[in-house]
Amino acid sequence: MKKILGAVVLMMMVVVGCVRQDENVVRIGAAGPMTGDQSKMGIDLRNGVELAVAEWNEKGGVLGKKIQLVPGDDQADPKQAVSIANKFINQKVAAVVGHWNSNCSINASTYYHTANIVAISPASTNPRLTQQGYQNIFRVCGTDDQQGGVAAEFVLKTLKPKRVAVIHDNTTYGKGLADFFKQVIEGKVQVVYYDGIQTKDPDYKAVLTLIREKKPDVYFFGGVYPEAGRLVRQAKEIGMNIPMVTGDGVYDPTFISIAGNAAEGTYITFGKDPSGLPTSKAFNEKYTAKYGAPGPYSIYAYDAANIILTAIQETGKTEGTAVAEFISKNTFRGAFGDISFDKNGDVAKAPYVVWKVTNGKFVEMK
Amino acid sequence: MFTQQLINGLALGAVYALIALGYTMVYGILQLINFAHGEVYMLGAYLGIIVLGVLTYWGLTAYSLGLSLLLTIIVSMAFCAAYGAVIERVAYRPLRNAAKLTPLISAVGMSIILQNFVMLAQGKEYKNMPPMLPTEGFSLFGANVSPVQVFILTASILIMVALQLFVSKTKLGKAMRATSQDRVMAGLVGININQVISITFMIGSSLAAVAGVMVTLYYGVVHFFMGYTAGLKAFTAAVLGGIGSIPGAMFGGFLLGLIENFGASYISSAYKDAFAFLVLIITLILRPAGLFGQKSMDKV
Repeated sequence: MKKILGAVVLMMMVVVGCVRQDENVVRIGAAGPMTGDQSKMGIDLRNGVELAVAEWNEKGGVLGKKIQLVPGDDQADPKQAVSIANKFINQKVAAVVGHWNSNCSINASTYYHTANIVAISPASTNPRLTQQGYQNIFRVCGTDDQQGGVAAEFVLKTLKPKRVAVIHDNTTYGKGLADFFKQVIEGKVQVVYYDGIQTKDPDYKAVLTLIREKKPDVYFFGGVYPEAGRLVRQAKEIGMNIPMVTGDGVYDPTFISIAGNAAEGTYITFGKDPSGLPTSKAFNEKYTAKYGAPGPYSIYAYDAANIILTAIQETGKTEGTAVAEFISKNTFRGAFGDISFDKNGDVAKAPYVVWKVTNGKFVEMK
Repeated sequence: MFTQQLINGLALGAVYALIALGYTMVYGILQLINFAHGEVYMLGAYLGIIVLGVLTYWGLTAYSLGLSLLLTIIVSMAFCAAYGAVIERVAYRPLRNAAKLTPLISAVGMSIILQNFVMLAQGKEYKNMPPMLPTEGFSLFGANVSPVQVFILTASILIMVALQLFVSKTKLGKAMRATSQDRVMAGLVGININQVISITFMIGSSLAAVAGVMVTLYYGVVHFFMGYTAGLKAFTAAVLGGIGSIPGAMFGGFLLGLIENFGASYISSAYKDAFAFLVLIITLILRPAGLFGQKSMDKV
C-alpha cells in the first residue's frame, strides 16, 4: 500500500512539475513530422524557426521577453497533430509555425482557432486549410489548386501527351493535388488511370505494372518524396520510360537520393528559386553554418516565424486576434521576397514554376 | 499482365515468408510474439547495403558478383544472428517466467530501441544503392522476370527446404521440436533449453537478414523505419499460415504477397494493405488456428 501511495505521490509531483510555467518568456510552437519517414521535413521546419528565434533573442527577444521555442512532433499523423495542438495550448504558446502535412494542419487549425492562437503553416498546400473561415490561420506557401493548374498547363502545353495516368498517396495533400490536376486536364487528354497508392509501402510494382498496361505518355503523382522516389525507381525497373510530373512535396534532394538515376527527367512544381535574392543568401549562410544545407521548406518556416515575431513586437500583444489582424494587413520582408496575405490567409502571390531533375539536381525550367 | 503480377507477388511473398519464419519459430518455442523481429530484418537490410558498399569499394563486386552476394548474405546473417541472440538474452530471458504480457512489452521496447539506434547511427535519411543485378530480365509467358526476382525466389526456396530438413532431420531440430512441445519436460530429459532458445532466435534472425539483403537488392532503398511495416505484414503472414507452424509461415508469406499484388492490380492499389488484413480476418473467423495451425503439440 505504501509503495502505491509513494508512486501516486511521485506521479502527482511529476504532473505538477510539468504544469509549472515560466511566465517571463514568449513561447513559439514549431510543429511538423520530426520522427518517422518524413522526419527530415519536420526537422528542417524546426531548424528554420529555431534560427529566427535565435536571431530575435540576440536582439533582446520580443516585448522585452526571451523567446522560447517549443517543438512538437506530429509524426505526420493528423491524430497526433491534434494532441500536439492541445499540448501547445496547455503550454500557452503565443503562436505556432506549422504543421507540415496538410491533413495535420487542417485538423490542428480548429484547436488553434478555438484557443485564439495564430498558426502559420510553411508548407501545407491544401486549399481547405484557409477556407474554413479562421482568421488566425495563414500559410506562406502556395495552394494546390494553383499548383495543380500550373502542372496541368505545363503537361498540356509542353509535354503534349495523349494519355495520362494520375496517382496519389491518399492523403489530404496528395489526393487534393492530384484531383486539381485531373480537373484541369480532364476532357483535354485521356486520363487512363486514376487511383491511390499506400504510403510506407516498399513495393509499387503491382500498380506500376497495371499503369504500364494502359500505355500512358506521362504520369502525375500527388504525394511526398519517399513514395515518389520508390515509384520512379521501380517504374524504370519494370521498363516504364515515361516522365513523372509531381508537386512540391517531392522537392527534396532525398527524392533524388532514393531514386538515383531514375529521378532524371522528373518534373516538379515548386516556388521560384530564391537563391538569387540577397536576403535568402544571408539566410542560407547562417542556416548552413548552424545545421547544414537548408531543406526546401526551412526558409518558409524561417519567414513564418519572423512574421509572427514581427507582428507580436509591433502590436505589443501576444493575443491571437490582434496578431492575426496585423499579419493580414501588412506586407512583410521575407527571406524569399515580400509576403502579404489575402483575406483567407493565403499568400497574395504564390508563383509556381516547373523544375526538372537534371544531372542529379533540381533545375528551374525557363 | 497476370504472369507479371504472379512473379511480382511471389517475389514479395518470399520476403514475407522469410521474415514470418522468425516470428513463427519463436512463437512455437516461447509463445512470444517477438515484435523486435521486424527490426532485425531492417538491420539485415542495412548490413546488406553496407557490406555491398564495402565490397564494391574493394572491387570484389566487379570481379565476381555471385561471390560478393554470397559473402554479403553470410556477413549479414552472422551479424543478425548475433543480434537475435543478444536480444533474447537481454530482453526476454530475464522475463521468461514473468506474466505473459511482460515479454511482449519488452519486445515492443526492444523494437523502439533498435529503430532509434539505427536512426542515430545511420541517420534519418533513406540510404540507397544502385542496382547490382541487371534490371533487364528474360521473358516468361509475357512477363519480364528480372534476375533479382529469380535470385529471391531460388534463394528463399532453398533456404526454406534447408530449414525444413534441419528441423525434421537433425538432433538440434528434434530438440527444438521437443522444447516447443513442453519446455519443462524437454529440460528434464536433458535438453539445454537456453541453448535451444538462443539457436532458435539466431536462426530466425538470420532468415530475416536474408530477407533484408534481398530487399536491398530488390528495392535498393533502406530506411530505419522499414522494419515496422514489414514486420507487421510478416506477422500477418505467420498468423495466416497458423502461428507456430513452419510450413504455415512459408505458405502464408507467399499467399500474402500474391493477395496484395493481385488485389492492388485488379481491385484498387489504394487498399493494398486492406486486402491482406481482410484475408487475415476471414481466415481467423473460419479457421482460428490459421491455415496450417493445429491445436496439437506440433508447433515448430
